[in-house]
Amino acid sequence: MDSLGEKKLDSKKGEYKRIVLVVDDEDVNRQMLGAILESDYEVIYAEDGQDAINQIKAHRETLSLVLLDLLMPELDGYEVLKWMKEGKTINRIPVIVLTSEKSAEVKSLQMGAADFLAKPYDLPEVILARVRHSIELSEDANIIKATENDHLTGLYTREFFFQYGKIFDHHHPELAMDAIVLNFNRFHLINELYGRAFGDTVLVAIADGIRGILEESSGIACRYDADTFYLYTIHMSDYDRLLRKILKVLSGVLKAPEMRIRLGIYPDIYRAASLEERFDRALQACNSLRNKYSGSFAVYDMDMHEREVYSARLLEDFEQALEEKQFKVLYQPKYNITGDRPRLCSAEALISWQHPKFGRVRPDAFIPLFEENGLIQKLDRYVWREAAEQMRKWRINHDIIIPISVNVSRVDIYDPEMPEFLDKIVRENEVNPRDYLLEITESAYTDNSRQIVQVVKDLREAGFRVEMDDFGSGYSSLNMLTALPIDALKLDMAFIKDISVDNKEMRMVELVLEIADFLQVPVVAEGVEVQEQYELLKKAGCDIIQGYYFSRPIPPEEFGRLIIKEKKGE
Amino acid sequence: MTLETLREFGANVDEGLARCMNNEAFYIKMVNMGIGDKRFESLKDTLENNDLDEAFEMAHALKGVVGNLALDPIYGPMNELTELLRSKTPGDYMGLYNQMKTQRDRLLAMAD
Repeated sequence: MDSLGEKKLDSKKGEYKRIVLVVDDEDVNRQMLGAILESDYEVIYAEDGQDAINQIKAHRETLSLVLLDLLMPELDGYEVLKWMKEGKTINRIPVIVLTSEKSAEVKSLQMGAADFLAKPYDLPEVILARVRHSIELSEDANIIKATENDHLTGLYTREFFFQYGKIFDHHHPELAMDAIVLNFNRFHLINELYGRAFGDTVLVAIADGIRGILEESSGIACRYDADTFYLYTIHMSDYDRLLRKILKVLSGVLKAPEMRIRLGIYPDIYRAASLEERFDRALQACNSLRNKYSGSFAVYDMDMHEREVYSARLLEDFEQALEEKQFKVLYQPKYNITGDRPRLCSAEALISWQHPKFGRVRPDAFIPLFEENGLIQKLDRYVWREAAEQMRKWRINHDIIIPISVNVSRVDIYDPEMPEFLDKIVRENEVNPRDYLLEITESAYTDNSRQIVQVVKDLREAGFRVEMDDFGSGYSSLNMLTALPIDALKLDMAFIKDISVDNKEMRMVELVLEIADFLQVPVVAEGVEVQEQYELLKKAGCDIIQGYYFSRPIPPEEFGRLIIKEKKGE
Repeated sequence: MTLETLREFGANVDEGLARCMNNEAFYIKMVNMGIGDKRFESLKDTLENNDLDEAFEMAHALKGVVGNLALDPIYGPMNELTELLRSKTPGDYMGLYNQMKTQRDRLLAMAD
């Protein structure tokens, strides 16, 4: 059916005339109502209940209103109302009943009628106004219905969710509520592995699980975006049960290891925050589970809040810290232990932040933060430049070349201007790129091996040497290792921590040493703290040692003294 | 039939005409259709046969029409008759019918 074709254009208003169905068994009444309505509407008629149903069926998509007489022979108006209610037609097409009785008004309103008109008829103006009003109300409601629910899951859309949440809060300020964020970790993998249609099935299953929860504990929910859902429910005590309920529904469509559901919960105990803020905190709790691969939940606490404020402050202070040189580059020496005595052979440049308010900020507090926010690139470049300048100073002051290794973050690898920048700073400082080592973490290789292999090749062609950092923490395949253009392997600290004679960790270290031997690259062990570790590593054939056993990371002046000692052969 | 005839008859012409969007010809046409209804006659038979349900339906329908046409002299007794029939209250059905019928016949005669 061509729905547009059924509507007549009202040239006066420049819009389509809406269609109104007049149902009355009396010809006179039909004609009189028609005369009233026809200036504003396209009017169609039905003489009895059955005729009305046929007309509604035929114009289901385009009918704007039904004016319905109640008392008719055979199928009466009540039967028509009942039919419309059962088929949910009445939800879209409003009905105004025509009646002369008070009792009939109540009954028909209860049956879903939008309004009633008295008989004998009111003045045409009144009839037209009430018809117009009912149509407007219904159209507004239909627009709201079309936009308030997420098409796929039937849950609210985020806009309506927050709107209804606020209305709820307004009416129930006394109730303790939970803001809950539910996210499916790495959902894109489901789509990629099984196709989008299956992904949709999973999302619908999650929504079903959520509806089950809401039936038990009153509340509302929305699909916030692709794979994130927000729930606003009356405070509950057992979140594990909540998680299990979702997982149970999901188990109908997914295998257990694939059910990577994580929940972030902000229980409404502080009461002070706005609805949006409460969900921001729930989201933060949810994000704290980033690396969890199976179902888990996290409840937001004040520590988290403080961390959040702390992180925000660090981010805000970054630029000023750079300007004021609050960032200091420290150097941790590396010793070559292959000879009869350890020889200072190079250093790793490490960053340290002396914050005016917080004092010394640990790198593990700000580096992941800056990695997330892209500031790390700026900080890396700062360190790279400082390190190159330092090499120059040592060469001038001590007449010695100390190779320095610097850390290269993931984001740097994708920066097409990185090689040019590095080239510039080594040239400016008359540093041979062979002495400038770039540490790239192993997991960066597995993220996008093709891209990184190319970048590393380019850097090596420019003369730089590349060390694979944190080796053993990632998932390099042996096959990939042979194809990698690297100059050294740096053992992950976690390996060194627990080594002792003939234990499992030690055998792992020996295995890595064999791999390095096969690749013909030296192995650097970092995090070496005690004599025993040093002895074991030396015995196993490790080439270079870095760690507190020799020295913590130290300022350049102090490092200068180490150089002097080294030159004296002490 | 003219508006004047209807006024003289006692119809609330302004109201009836307003319901017909002040279209005089349309109003007159509707009045003619309304009072020409055969049920004015057949209602008598159903009352005589004591078929109160059928009588109620007819009276109710006719009441609706004459009400909309603002034919007050007919509407009065017709309304009373309808309400009696609705509740099936024993009463002078035929008396009311005759009152109504007299008014309707008077209007037909005036229109001739």
